[in-house]
Amino acid sequence: MAETTKKNIRNFCIIAHIDHGKSTLADRLIEMTGQVSERDMDDRLLDSMDLEKERGITIKLTPVRMFYTASDGEEYIFNLIDTPGHVDFSYEVSRSLAACEGAILVVDATQGVQAQTLANVYLALENDLEILPVINKIDLASADPDGTKAEIEDAIGLDCSAAPLISAKAGINIKEVLEKIVTMLPPPKCADEAPLKALIFDSYYDNFKGVICFVRIKEGSVKVGDRIKTFMSDKQFDVTEVGVFSPGLTPKSSLSSGEVGYIAASIKSVQDTAVGDTITLVDNPASEPLPGYKQALPVVFSGVYPLDGSKFNDLKEAILKLKLNDASLTYEAENSMALGFGFRCGFLGLLHMEIIQQRIEREFDIEIITTAPSVSYKVHLTSGEVIDVENPSRLPEPSLIDYMEEPIILANIYSPPDYVGPIMELCQEKRGIFLDMTYVDSKRVRLQYKLPLNEIIFDFFDGLKSRTRGYASFDYELSGYEKSDLVKLDMYLNGDICDALAIIVHKEKAYARGRAIAEKLKEVIPRQMFEIPIQAAVGGKIIARETVKALRKDVLAKCYGGDITRKKKLLEKQKEGKKKMRRLGTVEIPSEAFMSILKIDSE
Amino acid sequence: MAGIYIHVPFCASKCSYCDFASFPKEFGKQEAYFACLYKEMRSRFAEYKDKTYETVYFGGGTPSFADPKFILGAMRLIRECVKLSDSAEITLEVNPGTIDRNKLRIYKQAGITRFSIGLQSSDDKLLKKIGRIHDREDFVKACDILKGYNLSADVMIGLFDQTKESVKDTIDCAINGGVKHISVYALTPEVGTPIYTDYLNGELPDSDEVADMYEYVVKYLDGLGFKRYEVSNFAIPGFESRHNLNYWRRGEYIGFGVGASSFMNGRRFTNVFTIDEYVHFLLNGKYAEASSDVIEGEDAKFEFVMLALRTSVGADVNKYRSAFGSDFFTDFADALKSQKAYLDISADSVKIKDEYLYVQNNIIVAFMK
Repeated sequence: MAETTKKNIRNFCIIAHIDHGKSTLADRLIEMTGQVSERDMDDRLLDSMDLEKERGITIKLTPVRMFYTASDGEEYIFNLIDTPGHVDFSYEVSRSLAACEGAILVVDATQGVQAQTLANVYLALENDLEILPVINKIDLASADPDGTKAEIEDAIGLDCSAAPLISAKAGINIKEVLEKIVTMLPPPKCADEAPLKALIFDSYYDNFKGVICFVRIKEGSVKVGDRIKTFMSDKQFDVTEVGVFSPGLTPKSSLSSGEVGYIAASIKSVQDTAVGDTITLVDNPASEPLPGYKQALPVVFSGVYPLDGSKFNDLKEAILKLKLNDASLTYEAENSMALGFGFRCGFLGLLHMEIIQQRIEREFDIEIITTAPSVSYKVHLTSGEVIDVENPSRLPEPSLIDYMEEPIILANIYSPPDYVGPIMELCQEKRGIFLDMTYVDSKRVRLQYKLPLNEIIFDFFDGLKSRTRGYASFDYELSGYEKSDLVKLDMYLNGDICDALAIIVHKEKAYARGRAIAEKLKEVIPRQMFEIPIQAAVGGKIIARETVKALRKDVLAKCYGGDITRKKKLLEKQKEGKKKMRRLGTVEIPSEAFMSILKIDSE
Repeated sequence: MAGIYIHVPFCASKCSYCDFASFPKEFGKQEAYFACLYKEMRSRFAEYKDKTYETVYFGGGTPSFADPKFILGAMRLIRECVKLSDSAEITLEVNPGTIDRNKLRIYKQAGITRFSIGLQSSDDKLLKKIGRIHDREDFVKACDILKGYNLSADVMIGLFDQTKESVKDTIDCAINGGVKHISVYALTPEVGTPIYTDYLNGELPDSDEVADMYEYVVKYLDGLGFKRYEVSNFAIPGFESRHNLNYWRRGEYIGFGVGASSFMNGRRFTNVFTIDEYVHFLLNGKYAEASSDVIEGEDAKFEFVMLALRTSVGADVNKYRSAFGSDFFTDFADALKSQKAYLDISADSVKIKDEYLYVQNNIIVAFMK
């Protein structure tokens, strides 16, 4: 293969709203460049495949290096860096974008600009990327390519006159996309002789090689044997392997500026190679890191407990292993009166939370109970001290609290104008404050609201989807903390307080929420040998009460022809069912009850 | 002692709640079926001929729908092959619409001592709705024909719009017919039966309403001298079903025919569920077992508890010790502790308190290891 000069490198990513065809286009590009017939994913990626398929979203893909001989007769190297497709991972997206010079913006011609389209475009613009708009799904009957172009021009101000009209699925006009990558996206700027600056945009833990850092070399070069360090960690490592993605890990002797590849250096934990951090050489270090590093902070917290208390150590192992690969997951041991020993885990968002929970259950085969998610509150004590409270049951006595603050988000909601009413109503219910409304075009409105994060984790997505028949899309960013009138809502079962069911709510909402949770618990707690009162209380005052009536009929019918075995099997099934329950005092509660309190129909 | 169960899988038509081995359209296979049944009896009895048999039970399906000569044939075969106690209880299930004096003459020859009549309800509208072929009048006639025999009646609760008054009338009707034993079963809507649709549509009483009806029945029958000796069975003292008591005492029994279950020498086995399969196996000189489990250790102990706790006398601690050589109170210490609020515990027995007998599953599973 001929030596390829750096003006022939294109580093880019593909950004899109969910389902607009990002992954399909990536597949086509890879196919057209003949690199591999199908996406060849390593084991790490296969792990998350089930979840991705179920939800129709891409969580993460490995970068791919492609060779393309353009119509100018020259051969180009394309490094396609994929980005996670969900708001929970927007920081990771921003670092992936920072590793590129260009971005392909895929917009579905049947749906137009959506919330994530915008959010991702803004991220790309912040990172000074050249954006190549591509209109996808033009083969569908409801496609409106001209309207979509106009919409992109209006909403984003991008010139779409040369945007390829494609169908990634049907393979229409893919060649044009490849050519436009060459002509419209810039080559990387290079400085091979400068001290090494390598941006870590992803990493994962490999049992044999240690952490594999995915890097974009911005300046300088790195080779096997170099001693490296990062700016955020004081540890040093010896490089054992460098290479590129073609698409599997393919070792090379060195990587230099402008290139995308990986570095392995027997690094024991992904903590030491945080996404966004900069790798440099110990002997000839860069004077400052690349800009834009942020520590990924968890925003959603939930208690994770083993269903079977004796599995605590297995759960700990599982979380430690997941943590190896996921620097944004945080955990600390906690003890609940109701659930025993477990962990309070911090997540980037609800999806991240769900992914981790499912991986614990699927990959480590540990049944867990998770409590309803909470956010982190800043509690200002009368003593003047400020503490962070992530576990509602740890909220200090009201008399010790001066005031509390809760995290606030800025939400962008895109929707056809018909649903503005229901959306405003929903945001209103969720204590939202209206900021702005603009027409993106005649078919789409952008609503901006300021909303408390603790309302978002409480059934907001489902509410938005159901009120807009799935047409609205939603994206948000954290904007800070605001003072708020919050109270702890306690739940009592059979007269005993259940700490794992406690939540922190706005005072105005406590009554309705308490009533709704009591009703929901009545629904999910099966009838038992005795009557079980369910009570919701604020500051010791009962605000709602429901009763699970005592069980009155639980008996197997006639044993025809003396079929005892069948009877026994039915009882065994019942016993199995009981194992999925958690005993709180005398009451048995199904493990899903703790999460079910989130799924409450709004009134 | 041991019991004999014979399954007769023929019916005039299938009731809407039925998911048992009953095949109205296969009546033409009657001869082949009984030939195979006899064949099975001969082979099995050769294996288990040293036991003394105390009860015989013809269940269905509708045994009274089959040609009575096959019942007679089965009884002759039993008497020829094994020792049947002189005082044996020999029960035949009867559908009120399928009994007459000619049949009875043959049953008499066969030595039937007890008839269990499927009354279900005295309300003709309800009977029709659940697909029964008989009416109240048929039941009265059947009782008249069977007068002088030991009679039992099956009664169902939990039917469409059924009221306590309707259940009371059914019980009165049975007792007027001379019945000394009543089994009360709550309708169980099984998946795949026509009534399951009605259940899904909410047309059947809910579990609280059924529990109300059940409690009413227990009280009403008690006032009439019918004691509850098992969760679903009531009798004038002395008229308890010995065949069924044997199941609950974990006694041995041998079952013949489609879907029949057996428990012999510590092994439980159940036959295949269709006539064709059954006939096929037997004609090829094989038994038609669909499943077989040797029950030992903890399993056997649990069975003892699960069966005994259905009865009002409960588990006999001394019998437990002689059966398993271990102490009941030690073996089940945890369950006895966690369930003590629902149990009557004495030095000799452990039973479920009367008021909790109808929620026994919840208690019994605590005894499962």
